[in-house]
Amino acid sequence: MTTPEGLRYSKEHEWVRVEEGRVVIGITDYAQDALGDVVYVELPDMGAAVVANASIAEIESTKSVSEVYCPVTGTVVEVNSALDDTPEAINEDPYGRGWIFAVELADAGELEGLLDAAAYEAFLAE
Amino acid sequence: MTAAESAGPLRRSPLDAVHRNLGAKLVEFGGWDMPIQYAGVLVEHRACRTDAVAFDVSHLGSLRIVGPGAFDLLQRAFTNDLGRIAAGRAQYTHLLDPTDAHVEDDIIVWWVADDEFLVMPNASNTDRIVAALQSEATADAVSISDVTAERAVIAVQGPRARELAATVSPAMAAVPRFAVARVEWQGTECVVAGTGYTGEDGFEVHVPFAVAPALWRAFMAADITPAGLGARDTLRLEAGLPLHGHELGEGITPLQAGLGWVVRWDKGEFRGRDALAAEKAAGVTRRLRGLVVEGRRPPRAGCSVLIDGAVVGEVTSGNFSPILEHAIALAFLPPDVEDGAAVAIDVRGSLLPAVVTKPPFVR
Repeated sequence: MTTPEGLRYSKEHEWVRVEEGRVVIGITDYAQDALGDVVYVELPDMGAAVVANASIAEIESTKSVSEVYCPVTGTVVEVNSALDDTPEAINEDPYGRGWIFAVELADAGELEGLLDAAAYEAFLAE
Repeated sequence: MTAAESAGPLRRSPLDAVHRNLGAKLVEFGGWDMPIQYAGVLVEHRACRTDAVAFDVSHLGSLRIVGPGAFDLLQRAFTNDLGRIAAGRAQYTHLLDPTDAHVEDDIIVWWVADDEFLVMPNASNTDRIVAALQSEATADAVSISDVTAERAVIAVQGPRARELAATVSPAMAAVPRFAVARVEWQGTECVVAGTGYTGEDGFEVHVPFAVAPALWRAFMAADITPAGLGARDTLRLEAGLPLHGHELGEGITPLQAGLGWVVRWDKGEFRGRDALAAEKAAGVTRRLRGLVVEGRRPPRAGCSVLIDGAVVGEVTSGNFSPILEHAIALAFLPPDVEDGAAVAIDVRGSLLPAVVTKPPFVR
């Protein structure tokens, strides 16, 4: 199970990468492993307003459906439409090609409430 | 998948330690702690369609029915006609509820020898089947014993199953489709049947507890891929095979499930016959159908099926088909809906277009 440094993490097993003026969001290695083979991703709508901790996307695996909770408040400015044809990217490369969507933050201060890599790993170990 | 009904500790397969060593993910299934996957459901599924896989299906029940009254008991209890086969053959059959003819369980009977049968119910139904058989037994010319704890059952399936398994045991690999034979492996007697639940060729081995890990390892050494119950479920769905608790169970008769061929009216009396005959005379009010879904999003059990905006039925099982690379489902629909009819499936508020078809989805 990998937990890259430099990302922020939620207790719902999303990761957040801070970029210029926006954040990119996906699910963690732990989450993809627990889900099993991902076969479909219901992406959020471009331009959608999102509120922290609200359900924003759905991931279907061969086992079940899981909701993706948006860890921050803001506006969806990009979605990874490559997942429409290759949802398995979430299993193969959860922190890279498996990114799900990007959000323009309403309040950068919300990032302070998220975990760093060490704290997320400690949370997983609980 | 069928939810567990037992509240006690989970039962473990004789192969439990072997699975853990292989890195399997184990989940609770029918009261057992069983592997749902090893490398992943999709890769295991595709291995079964193109190569060969082995499943641990020790969670199925094994009832040994022995004695001069065994044939008559099973003939009276189950819907299919054992008179159409003979010792050394296997048969798929149903046990019906005597009051409303719902399918209490779907079962494979292995007719091992003249007065000896292995009856294999679904895991969580085993106790119920024992009780039903005991209530149908009229004489003491038959003994019913639950031998589930004494053995493992390994299913070897796929187009290369026989070829690869022949390096382990030529005799096992040679058991024909729906035949049953006793086979000795390294001095231990096993029972082998040319049966399975994937739509592929292959066989299933009933192997004594102590020898099961060695036999499993021998299959692995023969380059047979371990596969879990996750792939077994997607395989059976592609093959259009029913799963008890979804396509069969409370409120569902064999006629509704499209399995009228499992019921042999000309064999005489059987449990549930009168109730089923009444439904046959009146006509079924719903029938199990296949749905070819547009796109990858899997419908799940319980999703509504609509025609022209009106709810007409319900999905019983649905998933992504790893071979077709789109979603498929089984659903109960009104009997007059024709193959090729356009429907919509309500998946949490999204309407997925689908077309009614006759399973199997993959041949």
